[in-house]
Order: sequence, then structure tokens, then C-alpha cells
Amino acid sequence: MTETAAGIRIRPLDELDISAIVAIDEAISGRYRPEVWERRISYYLRRAPEASLVAEVDGKVSGFMLGEVRSGEFGLEEPTGWIEVLGVDPAQRGKALGRKMAEGMLEHFRSHGAHSVRTLVDEEREDILTFFSSLGFEPAGLRPFVKHLEDRRPG
Amino acid sequence: MNVKTSTLPKRYHEAVLRWKDVFLPDYDFLLENWDKHFPNDPEFQLCAYRELGMCSEIECGDLKGKPKAQKAGDLLPEQAHHLFGAIRAQASTEFGSIQQHRLTLARAQEEEEQFWILRMMAEELRHGYQMLHLLVEDDWSSVSKESASDLIEDVLSMNTGSHLLGAFNIDFDSFVDNVVFCALIDRVGKYQLAMQKISAYKPMAESMPQMLREEAFHLAAGVVPMRRWVTAAARGETFVTMEVLQKAINKWLPRGLEMFGDERGGGTNVRFGLKPMKNSEAQAQFYQEVEKLVRDLNLRYLRARIADLTHAGSETALDRVLAGETVEGIRCEDLLYVPAMEFFRRRGVPSFRLAGAQGETFATVPEYLQHLVRTLPEAYRASRDFKDYVEALTAVQEGRMTAEQAAGRMPALRRVAGACPCSKSVRWMVDDPVVVSAPQLARPVTGQPVA
Ligand SMILES: CC(C)(COP(=O)(O)OP(=O)(O)OC[C@H]1O[C@@H](n2cnc3c(N)ncnc32)[C@H](O)[C@@H]1OP(=O)(O)O)[C@@H](O)C(=O)NCCC(=O)NCCS
Ligand SMILES: [Fe+2]
Ligand SMILES: [Fe+2]
Repeated sequence: MTETAAGIRIRPLDELDISAIVAIDEAISGRYRPEVWERRISYYLRRAPEASLVAEVDGKVSGFMLGEVRSGEFGLEEPTGWIEVLGVDPAQRGKALGRKMAEGMLEHFRSHGAHSVRTLVDEEREDILTFFSSLGFEPAGLRPFVKHLEDRRPG
Repeated sequence: MNVKTSTLPKRYHEAVLRWKDVFLPDYDFLLENWDKHFPNDPEFQLCAYRELGMCSEIECGDLKGKPKAQKAGDLLPEQAHHLFGAIRAQASTEFGSIQQHRLTLARAQEEEEQFWILRMMAEELRHGYQMLHLLVEDDWSSVSKESASDLIEDVLSMNTGSHLLGAFNIDFDSFVDNVVFCALIDRVGKYQLAMQKISAYKPMAESMPQMLREEAFHLAAGVVPMRRWVTAAARGETFVTMEVLQKAINKWLPRGLEMFGDERGGGTNVRFGLKPMKNSEAQAQFYQEVEKLVRDLNLRYLRARIADLTHAGSETALDRVLAGETVEGIRCEDLLYVPAMEFFRRRGVPSFRLAGAQGETFATVPEYLQHLVRTLPEAYRASRDFKDYVEALTAVQEGRMTAEQAAGRMPALRRVAGACPCSKSVRWMVDDPVVVSAPQLARPVTGQPVA
């Protein structure tokens, strides 16, 4: 748990953060999806509750960053930290919440044996690309491919 | 992460496995289906975890800054005595909670939620195991005459279920209890574990991080189904109504508050460097968390009831409803509330008062009992536990007994060896073991609650 300037506090995620994360996601995406976050947060809480972090501003959860250390993904055998989902309340951006959460997660990944940290970013999301670049991330040699599957369900 | 795992000596390990075969018969089923419900999660292991590299100096109390004890023999006699009681009590309650959950596990409506609870039960088994490991790995002969095997047998036999004396039971009545218990009572456990993370006894501190990781999920296994249920209730589905949930909260919250121990106590733990907070401080923080939980549930309910509500709109609507307005047909009575701290208490400062769930007070016992009829689950009111409470309350209110005397007659794990006072009781609160030499403590009333 880190206490920083201006009432900002970075701490591990817990189950009472679900509502705040639903609200941040809604502010970002315009969609209210409590079921999605209930399931997702349960997932991270059961796997690595200290890896995922939230950022509070004056006691109010205003950002979240979820991820964990995994190995064996994409043939990457060594333990690798993954930052998988993130969001900062639009009203609280530019206060380094994103950076501080990322630093906290990187520290956690390091202490859990990871030598690198990865994430996947939509190439059209300039903001997120710049965000990760400014944290020292660079394009990796892995190229994501996708094939859309036609729906073959009857009816 | 630097974690060391170890197992109990073979015969003790096997004793736990035998206990598991009796009281957690779905354990193998859980492991067989682990990948289906928890794909890629590390397989469950019945072992003790010790986190390495934790703080080596006592973090609070009279001995702050001194090296932590690596062995029981390094502790002061009173410290050791205190801690030994705490570990043994915690061990027994970890096992005890499995027996409670087991009663109604099969009644879950959703497979996912059932597996969450089942996993939680396996982890409680591991917590009990972890505590036994602390007892067996060290030499406690300065505070206990019992051999390691007697200690283990005591703890495991306390939970045989062979003497189900109702006086000490708070049964689960439905799967609602499994879930609400996780959301409220495991939350108390989280506080205890978090506090013991600073323990002056290093093996205790080192045992906490993994237990806390597991506890994080136990809380989710309670809170997430509750969130789903309020949504279903808002849609008019009647599986679990708001009233049913409220009554379950009313049943468990007072017991959770009491697990922190008497509001005036806890100083000994702090002085001994075993916990950083006194009972009332931890209890107050816990209560605030429950307030947050209930507010979130109400917001979830409102958004499911009122279409097109925004997040900010739901906050405003909730405040209006709570202030007494009817908004889109929703009234305050339709929502959940946190029962008052004094409600339905039988231990601690507010014990045996005629204090209502929403802060109201009652003049006579019959009026209060009517209130309890309205606020507690019907099945629970038919229990021996409730009957004993009513008898004690009546005696106190008629002046035949003091509240302290009556509290002493209510469930408590005061002795921890031999004949079992319970098997499927609520996690027990232990009165402090007799404090050996701390005359400045007028009241040894520290609770030793459990995860
Ligand atoms: C990307 C995001 C996390 C940044 O949060 P933040 O707290 O405002 O970021 P910080 O203040 O910590 O900024 C850190 C760095 O990123 C850069 N950055 C942040 N937002 C940026 C933007 N929109 N455009 C360009 N750069 C940006 C900052 O300039 C800063 O760089 P610097 O330290 O070198 O000056 C936040 O904007 C966000 O949540 N975006 C939406 C995410 C989303 O869509 N999530 C759902 C899909 S997973
Ligand atoms: Fe638990
Ligand atoms: Fe536990």
C-alpha cells in the first residue's frame, strides 16, 4: 500500500471495489456492465489479489489496473507479468494515477519472479499506446492475429 | 514471491485427511472439477505456507523494535500463553466453519457459486492445517502440558460433530447463510489475519500472507452472489428477496461484531506486539466496510429497478430514498440497512440491551422480542441458540443476572481441549486465557476471533 502526494493512495484491489470499477468503466465506455466486472474481479481476487491495484483520490477509487504473473502464454515459458485491464476515471486523468498503479504492479511482478511485463493495446488507441510508451514499454515481437469465426449455431 | 511450503509429519497430516474425509467429503469432487471452475489456477495443496523475508522486528507495543520471536521459547511467558490460546482457537474455528458450510452447501442454486464456496471450504481446511503446523512445529511445553499429538487430537475431535449440543450452535439454514457468512464473518477473519501479519511471533506473521490471499477470494465468494441476488430481487425474481438477505445480515452481523472481542479490550495484544489495533478500532473499521457493502448492494438494486439511471443518478436516488422519499415506487423499506452496532448483542459493551436493528430502543422484553420476530430469520428463531439468548436477555432485564454473567453463558470457546463444546457453531470467540501476570489489566477481555 502506498500513500503518495495529494491524497492519492495505491492499494491492492478488493471485492468492495467492484462498484467503483463498474462506474469507472461506465464513464469510459458508456456501458453499465456489473456482471462482467463481478466475474472478472472474482477471477483476479482468487488468483493474485495483491497483483491488481486500485488508485484512490481522497478515499474514492478513481483508477484500476488488473493483471497477474503467468507463464506458458504464447510460448513464453518464463514468468511474465501481464497488465490486462486498466482504467482511470476521466475526471482524474493526468494525475499520474496510471503511472503509479503501473509502478506498483511492476514491483509486484518483479518480486514474483517476472523479468518482463507485457500488455496488448489496440493500435488505434493512441492514448493508451502513448501511456505505455511513456512508462518505457516498447513494441514486442509478438504480432496479434485474429480470425473471426462465423456463427454456425442452428437457428 | 518467496514462500516456503511444508507439510505436517505424516501421521498428523493423515489425521487431517481423515477429518476431511468425514467433514469435507466433496473435497475430491472439488479437485476433480478444479480445472472446469478454476482453469489454470494452481492446484490446491493441503500444506502450510510461510512467507519469507518479512519484517524481523516487533512492530508495535512495549517491545517495539526488538527482534521478533522465532520460537515460542523466545516469547515472554504471558505472550506465549496468550498466543498459544489464539492459535489453538483459530485452528479449531477454521475446521468448525467447514462443518457449518457443509450443512447447506448442497442447496446452492448456481453451480458456480457452489464451487466457490467449496473451494473456500478447502482453503479453510488449509487454514486449520496452517495453525496446526504452528502448534506442531514449535515447542509449547512452557505453556501447555499437552503433547503435539494430543493438541492435534483435541482440535480435530472438537469438530467431530458427535456432540451437537444446540446451546452452542448457530446453524446455517440455507445457502443464503453460506454466502452472507462469507461476506460478513470471513471479513472479520480478514481483519484478524491482517492484524496478525505484524505478530511478534514470526512464524505467525509468516503464516498470514497466503491466508490473506485466500481470504480475499472468500469475501468475493460472499459479496458477488449477494450482488447478484439483489439484482434478481429487483427484477422481481423471488429466490432470495431483500427481506431474506436483510434477515441473514441481522443474524450474522452482531456475531461478527462480537468476534472482535469486548469493545474495551485488545490492549494486551497491542502491548505484546501481537496485533496493531485494539478491539474497538478494528471493529469500527469492519463496520464501515459493511456499510460500504450495503450501500453498494442498494445501488445495484436501484439500478436494476430503475431503467436508464446513471451512476451519479443512482447515488442521488439512493440518498433520496434513504432520506425518506419514495423514488420511482422505491421506499426505504425496500432497501437493505446495516443493523445498529448495539442490535441483538450478547457480548461486549452493548450486550443484552433492548436495542433495535435500526437504532430504535424498546421499553420491555416482549416488545423487543416482537421486534426480533420481525427482523431475524424464522428458521433461526426456532433454534436453541435463539432460545438461550431470549432466556438470558429476560434474566438480565429482570435483574436476575448481570449482562456480564449472561454473556458468560452464551456460546464461547472458553476451554479448548477435551469434550467438544460445539461442532457446527459460529466461529468461537475465546476469552483471553487467564492473563498470567498483567495486573494492570483490569479486564482480560480480548477476543480471539478467527478467519
Ligand atoms: C491511459 C490511462 C490509463 C492513463 O491514465 P492517467 O492516470 O491519466 O495517466 P498518467 O497521468 O499516469 O500518465 C502517465 C503517462 O501517460 C501519458 N498519457 C496519459 N494519458 C494520455 C493520453 N490520453 N494521451 C497521451 N498520453 C497520455 C501521460 O502524458 C504520462 O506521460 P509522462 O509521465 O511522460 O508525462 C487513462 O487515460 C485511461 O484509463 N484511458 C482509458 C483506458 C481504457 O480505455 N480502458 C478500457 C480498455 S482496457
Ligand atoms: Fe475464510
Ligand atoms: Fe480461514
